[in-house]
Amino acid sequence: MNNMEIENTIKEYLKEVKKALPEWLKEKKEHKEILVDLEDHLREKARELSNTGEITLKSTYEAIEHMGTPKAIAKEYKRRGTPYVYITKEMWPLYLRVLTVVFAVVIILNVVAMFINIIFENPSIEQIFGNLISGIQLGILISFAVISIIFVLLSMEGYFPEDFKSKKELEKEKVLMRKVQEEGYPISKKTGKPLKPFIKPLEEIIGGGIGLIAGVFFITQPIFVGLLDPLFSILIRIFGILLTIEGSLDISRGIIGNYKPSTHQIIHGIKIILKFAGIPLIIFLALNPQIFPWFYYNEGLGLWVNVGISVEFYELFRNVMIAVAVIAGLTSIEDIYRIIKIQNYK
Amino acid sequence: MIKRVKGFDPEFMDYASKFESEINRGISTLCILSIINQYDDEGIHGYQISKDLQEKTNEILIIEEGTLYPILRKLEEDGIIKAEREKTGRRRKFYFITEKGKKVFNFLSGFFSKLTEAIAPLFDVNVKLKRDQYFYCPNCANKIDLSNNDINFCDVCGHKIDPELKSRGFLNE
Repeated sequence: MNNMEIENTIKEYLKEVKKALPEWLKEKKEHKEILVDLEDHLREKARELSNTGEITLKSTYEAIEHMGTPKAIAKEYKRRGTPYVYITKEMWPLYLRVLTVVFAVVIILNVVAMFINIIFENPSIEQIFGNLISGIQLGILISFAVISIIFVLLSMEGYFPEDFKSKKELEKEKVLMRKVQEEGYPISKKTGKPLKPFIKPLEEIIGGGIGLIAGVFFITQPIFVGLLDPLFSILIRIFGILLTIEGSLDISRGIIGNYKPSTHQIIHGIKIILKFAGIPLIIFLALNPQIFPWFYYNEGLGLWVNVGISVEFYELFRNVMIAVAVIAGLTSIEDIYRIIKIQNYK
Repeated sequence: MIKRVKGFDPEFMDYASKFESEINRGISTLCILSIINQYDDEGIHGYQISKDLQEKTNEILIIEEGTLYPILRKLEEDGIIKAEREKTGRRRKFYFITEKGKKVFNFLSGFFSKLTEAIAPLFDVNVKLKRDQYFYCPNCANKIDLSNNDINFCDVCGHKIDPELKSRGFLNE
């Protein structure tokens, strides 16, 4: 009877410990080993505390007292992350990523809802923007609150981002880490994980090469010689110079490869200047549609003739050129993004 | 310690016990690491660690023994110690200090020793460091064993220590 009571007491204690353990640990096989170790320790302690060298019910209770409450043991397992604004430092990057994705989904859903609203209900401009802004605001506010609460709770339980990954994924990451360490690739200071190469050298060389050829073509203008408006010809040459420089810079980046991050940042800075330098030229072209060439093959003469674009298309031409100028300006966002991203590789 | 005394004012007991466990937290991890370090290649199992901890600290530093395992798990996860299970018999888990762990332990042990020496006057006690056996890096407090003759730099901060060791007569000119 006494033996059964001892066994039941031990079992009950371990059951309570298991119940109190954090979920991330219970999901792993490891928790079984932990319980085995605790049981082993408990029995040894109970044996030591009994005068006879045999475990008694009294010594079992005493040993349990020495072991600590299940809650205290579990609390120690949960004390895992580095404290950082209620969410642990380890969970912080995942928190930001989830927020970004959910915010993006909220914005997309609201934009889709706006289009559906426009198609079916024909609302006023005020209604469209009013609904869009309030919808995005509410969506972001609710998702921010819910996600933040979830992440605070996960941090309190001692979760790490790894706990959401399968064994296979973790093994894959380990292999990648080993490879990265061997090859000396950079490791993120924030996450401690390997950073993906920030450029694909071959892509940069091919892209830069195409730009370089186009630039040289614009500078030399080997075809339609004498047919272009002299002003347009100069404009194209300037574009050619800008394109040649940009192409050469891309080729240089490809040659440098995933090294010298500061040099890459400087090159992106120069590219931003080049992109903005092209905008006044496009605007000049938009304001002077008469210089833009439009070729027509005169069968009678057997020659190509530059007739220019028809006056009725000038408005359309201007709009297209303004759109091109805006796109050219927007492409510099990519360079700004890359400058910021490359900062992590330093 | 405070938990052993019965019949204290509950408010005082609660405050004192919280403070006590705050003080014990880091120290107990360091002491556990020190015990594992002493066993070096031999390794040590959890029960023996808790037994040694009690005996070597004259039963002053007492932890709830069940909380030893989460501490060991964390040290293992951080690469400070490694664990191996016995292949036969009771299949107990034995813990060994790693190279990284030794480096971390030497540094923390040096820091803790210097800290205890520095704060000793505040409690009107004397702490005498074994300066004939160990050298404490003046830059980072790393504890360097003087029985190792081949030391020129602190292995933690890289501080050049041989001139100081020579001036103290630990190294030949």
